[in-house]
Amino acid sequence: MLLKQWLRSKNKTMNAVGAPVKKGQFKSSSKTDKPWQVVVLDDPVNLMEYVSRVLVQIFGISKGRANELMLAVHEKGRATVWSGSREKGEMYVSQLHTAQLNATLEKVE
Amino acid sequence: MTIAPTLSGGLRLIPEEEQDWSVLLEIADDGEGNLEARFGNLMDEDSMWEEIVVPELKVDFSAQRKEVRKAVLEAREQGREGVTIEREQADLWYGALNQARLLLEERFRFGPSEFVEVEKIKDAVMRSAYFRNEFYSQVQSLLLEYVMGDG
Repeated sequence: MLLKQWLRSKNKTMNAVGAPVKKGQFKSSSKTDKPWQVVVLDDPVNLMEYVSRVLVQIFGISKGRANELMLAVHEKGRATVWSGSREKGEMYVSQLHTAQLNATLEKVE
Repeated sequence: MTIAPTLSGGLRLIPEEEQDWSVLLEIADDGEGNLEARFGNLMDEDSMWEEIVVPELKVDFSAQRKEVRKAVLEAREQGREGVTIEREQADLWYGALNQARLLLEERFRFGPSEFVEVEKIKDAVMRSAYFRNEFYSQVQSLLLEYVMGDG
């Protein structure tokens, strides 16, 4: 279980937002392995710059891409930031929750 | 309250009166709640969030509040000019401030600050909470800009 592995190793791998750095894993899923998606939800508290920063750190994406996703969350109320397997999605959501962002995991319709 | 950057790349919060020290202590108080459960509610039962992740979040969030309270109390008791947030402590402080703001928002429903008409807030408790929330937000912005650097 990826989530349990992350929790076990968490204290050794914490980064600035309290979540493990997973750079390079953002594009790791194949097209046939995308039944789940990580969705970030808008809230009136988290600062926009902080949201971008967290997305960069967790998903290893560029600052420009993170800003696009952050604006989508802000303007549409939600944005899908990753899709792939359930286990990996749960790991990402747990990192987003650690950073205090509202996020959930949804099955792709 | 004065907020100033330090030569070591941190931020110093310098209270000018006793009430300012109280505001700093209220960061931890305002963050006291069940924030971790709120994140658990975003996940379905199959994820076992309540069993696995929520307890971890509770520990993390509690540690942030505890460290901030300890730093403020030590600075005041030792008669220091203010509280210094070193670069390596910035995430911890940011997290504690965020907890406080998330729970104040949950309690008072201020909404986006650009739509708040502060003169219409008549309730003293809510008005005080609003100004604390704004102060916390300013400190977070300064931490992001001067201390935490690029993501």
